[in-house]
Amino acid sequence: MSQIKRLVLDVLKPHEPTNVEVASAIGDIRDVDGVNLSLYEVDQQTENVKITVEGIDVDYDLVLQTIENLGGVVHSVDEIIAGKKIVEEEETLHDRG
Amino acid sequence: MSFNIEEGRYIILGSIDGLLATLGIIMGVSVVGASNAIIVSAAFGGAIALALTNGLGSYLAESTIEHGKLAITEKSLLRKLDNTYVESQSRRKIAKDAMSSGGASFIGSLIPLAPWIFSVGSVAASVGLSLISLVALGIYSAYISRQSYAISVVKMVGLGTLIVIAVQLLRIGHLVQ
Repeated sequence: MSQIKRLVLDVLKPHEPTNVEVASAIGDIRDVDGVNLSLYEVDQQTENVKITVEGIDVDYDLVLQTIENLGGVVHSVDEIIAGKKIVEEEETLHDRG
Repeated sequence: MSFNIEEGRYIILGSIDGLLATLGIIMGVSVVGASNAIIVSAAFGGAIALALTNGLGSYLAESTIEHGKLAITEKSLLRKLDNTYVESQSRRKIAKDAMSSGGASFIGSLIPLAPWIFSVGSVAASVGLSLISLVALGIYSAYISRQSYAISVVKMVGLGTLIVIAVQLLRIGHLVQ
């Protein structure tokens, strides 16, 4: 299995723990170099956040376990970058249309 | 200084309960000319009972509310939150609130009882210490609520005075019989 360099997750979570606590907890996972957590929707009981995790060898199961332990649910894995180097998404003709 | 408003609620509630209920017991028992030992025994029994009922009452009430909140959140998330950080925080809050309520009630009870424990018992000393404690509680309450210190102290002391008057009236009623 090649190493995961970047994960972008769509997560539904309760208001507590706060987004600061969630980002900090994910940042504490071994081999995670950085975390970006963006809030894009707030409901009465929950909020939707996009979490981007980067590292040399990100352990997806550990990230998932941490999010679930904090009361979150991963709705979808929106982007994964794995392998020896980071490969960015290329724009195609379809995207331009 | 950081403080938890929820805990503050239980500290105020428990303290007032312990302070004034025990003061009532002391005033009520002293009217029949009970000895120091009997007054200490009666008031201490009351203090223990109050601490347990306040602690258990808060535990049961908070359990109900916290589990209700968890159930609503679980419904929104479409998942169970058993054995998660969220559930553990909820359990911690229930325990802390119960301890705050029961502990504050017991400490509050010891204040009017203190002069009797040290065998210098007089109803006036119990009333005086209780009113001083109510002033402190009023200041604490104003600090939490960010409201006027004067109004908060007057409210607390006024409440205490009302209860002292009510118990005093019962004493007079007893003496008339």
